[in-house]
Amino acid sequence: MLNPLAAAPRRARRLDRAIAIAGGAASFSTLAVFGWIVWDLIRLGLPNLSWHFLTGEVETAGRSGGIGPVLVSTLLILLCCLAVAVPLGIGCAVWLSEFVRRGSRASRIVTGGVDLLASVPSIVFGLFGMTFFCQVLGLGFSILSGGLTLACMILPILVRTTLLALEGLPADLRPGAAALGLTRTTTLRQVLLPTALPGILVAITLGVGRALSETAALLFTSGYSTRWPDSLGESGRALSVHIYDLAMNIPNGSPNASASALVLLVLILLINLTATGLTERWTRHLSGTTS
Amino acid sequence: MSQLSVSRLSVRYGPVKALRDVSLEIPKGQITALVGPSGCGKSTLLHTLNRLTDLVDGCEVRGSVRLDDDLEITEATTDVLALRRHIGMVFQKPNPFPHSIRRNFEIPLREHGVSRANIPGIIERCLRDVGLWDEVSTRLDRSALQLSGGQQQRLCIARALALDPEVILFDEPCSALDPLASAVVEDHIAALRGRVTVVIVTHNLAQARRIADRLAVFWVRDGAGTIVETGPAANLFTDPTDPDAARYLSGERG
Amino acid sequence: MSRSRTDRFVQWSLGGLAVLSGGLVLLIVVFLLLGAWPTIQSGLLSHLLTDETWRPGSDRDPQFGLLPMLAASFLVTALSIGIAAPFGVAGAVFDRFYLPPGFRRWNHRLLELLAGVPSVVFGFWGLTVLVPAINRLHPPGQSLLAASLVLSLMILPTVALTSQAALRAVPESETLAAAGLGLGRARTIFSIALPAAKSGIGGGILLAVARAIGETMAVVMVCGNIAEFPSSLFDPVRPVTSTIALEMGYASADHKALLYTAGLILVLAVAALVGWLAFRGSKNVPASG
Repeated sequence: MLNPLAAAPRRARRLDRAIAIAGGAASFSTLAVFGWIVWDLIRLGLPNLSWHFLTGEVETAGRSGGIGPVLVSTLLILLCCLAVAVPLGIGCAVWLSEFVRRGSRASRIVTGGVDLLASVPSIVFGLFGMTFFCQVLGLGFSILSGGLTLACMILPILVRTTLLALEGLPADLRPGAAALGLTRTTTLRQVLLPTALPGILVAITLGVGRALSETAALLFTSGYSTRWPDSLGESGRALSVHIYDLAMNIPNGSPNASASALVLLVLILLINLTATGLTERWTRHLSGTTS
Repeated sequence: MSQLSVSRLSVRYGPVKALRDVSLEIPKGQITALVGPSGCGKSTLLHTLNRLTDLVDGCEVRGSVRLDDDLEITEATTDVLALRRHIGMVFQKPNPFPHSIRRNFEIPLREHGVSRANIPGIIERCLRDVGLWDEVSTRLDRSALQLSGGQQQRLCIARALALDPEVILFDEPCSALDPLASAVVEDHIAALRGRVTVVIVTHNLAQARRIADRLAVFWVRDGAGTIVETGPAANLFTDPTDPDAARYLSGERG
Repeated sequence: MSRSRTDRFVQWSLGGLAVLSGGLVLLIVVFLLLGAWPTIQSGLLSHLLTDETWRPGSDRDPQFGLLPMLAASFLVTALSIGIAAPFGVAGAVFDRFYLPPGFRRWNHRLLELLAGVPSVVFGFWGLTVLVPAINRLHPPGQSLLAASLVLSLMILPTVALTSQAALRAVPESETLAAAGLGLGRARTIFSIALPAAKSGIGGGILLAVARAIGETMAVVMVCGNIAEFPSSLFDPVRPVTSTIALEMGYASADHKALLYTAGLILVLAVAALVGWLAFRGSKNVPASG
């Protein structure tokens, strides 16, 4: 006779196995597609990759030659971006964490603004950057304009991650410093910021990764020039824009686009690994404090 | 002679009354222990003495606390940074800065204008005072977090001593430590008698009995903490007058 | 008291930086509004919804129909979420309940790496690998399908990682209690874990929607960029973001104002989503236990 107690588990086991297979397939295929993309980029890009490619001039609109000037422009755009975004973002986070009460109106308004900024699509940053930096401030299509536009874009990630780092500090550091008669400035400079440094580095690394992978915000701000840049006021093409242009606008640009995409991918992977490594160090660093 | 005189002190955190109408004389060079059940305002009183209450939003202090019959601590114009140099504090959980042992001294000493040349001498003197010198003299540049809990707490005492304070406040300094480390820290607190005025909050009545010269027993009355009995420790343990204090001190509600 | 003056100086300067950071989004919205103003003023706004095609540059008969692009944005977003959400959630369930803990860290790391891949790289891969493949199936290749597939790959890590976090936040005591009642793993997942994590998973999906609406590069390279209503998955489309990216460079006058208007619409749509998400989050926190 049918035993209901025996029947139920069998059905449950079958369902269990179905979930395992479906979930496993979903997980595996996600990672497999990732592997596929990487493999394709290596397959298409590696043959064109060489030292000369990394350092050479851009020739025939990118079809031949290298990406030397593009890498330099990218680096300069990144430096402009960080020079503005890092002080702004860290300053904002420090103010939110150390100088206003959490949940106060001022804190809610500023975090709300920063979170809204995070939701702005990157193409809109491009639109804004083109109008504000290039036209209103008269910077034209330049490395500076591109860097400033990116700075606006990575600001939220810097603020949020730095804030997380500061809020993750052991709570008793602050009264401890106050009880020794330290000013808030000294407490910040000598105690809190050095302790939060790994976390702040994570914030900067994430910002660099975001900035480096951005294309849309740079299309109409940093320009397309492929010459070696002489100054920040000149137009300069970022690596991501170079890939886009080669793939979309240059017939037979694909081989060099592949190699450029591979370079960008490797850079991003390195940056991500740095961020992961820093995060792990940071967690260990803090767990030493709590024991 | 009183080092600190607290009179008619009331403290509230927003709508919550923490302390009501507390008066207490804290004699110079002695060890005064504040005891009583949890949540009756002992730590609040301690935080009022060096104005750490300023760090708490919505904290309102009324009444008077005078240092050396001279400086009114609760006055808004009081220079709290200077005040905290005179009145040091050691917390329940050891809280060395996550830097080297040396930096833990340098940061406060430099802040209070001590010249670099004098700092090594001060570090050695203070670490000797807490019996830590022999243990750490060769690794002053290692992270303070590598020390054991008891060592960290002694480092915090040494760090407080480095500023040459007249008073040191201890907020349950041994409750986060194991019994052995706790005994060592307790001995070093007891050794401060005569040199520094000590105010210590403790839940450990045996500890209070061992080290305290004077005792103040806190109790919650009408929804707020207050002092129900105060006097020389020896008298209080043998012959308390307040019935709550008597039961508490005899261990019935410890 | 010069030391406290330093403190005040630091406090005010940092406050200034904070106000600048928080106010930047306002500046952006103001610029979009200023740029879009001519559209609103000249009554072009109604044309956005009534004109049948998009021929903004034409001198004789300019047409400003934005509807095909809005439809394209909507379709691409909906399809990509439709693909990414089941994969992401199923993967997260597998990660939480079936994957040995040792592998979990690696799964997490790989997904994080995947989340960091630049959109232009996805777009390039789509253009050189996916589009030719679709072309063999059904020309032209650059299509609604290609855009949706590439976009779904881009947002998959977002869905997977937020779903994982939501499932991990379900207290172990609850799943253990279910096991204690003799519930099988499958029952535990459907009756305990997924309902408890519902809000977090939904939040992750909405976040992915916001990303999908705003994504430009991955889409512009594979969608075909023809501003008409698609009649099948294999038709080329042109979402709002692509339009801005393609025409920003040469647009002028009314045309340019229209692009600002499109940008404004994007910002409002995404901000509304994210704002609603934040509001929902703040309301749900006490109830989620």
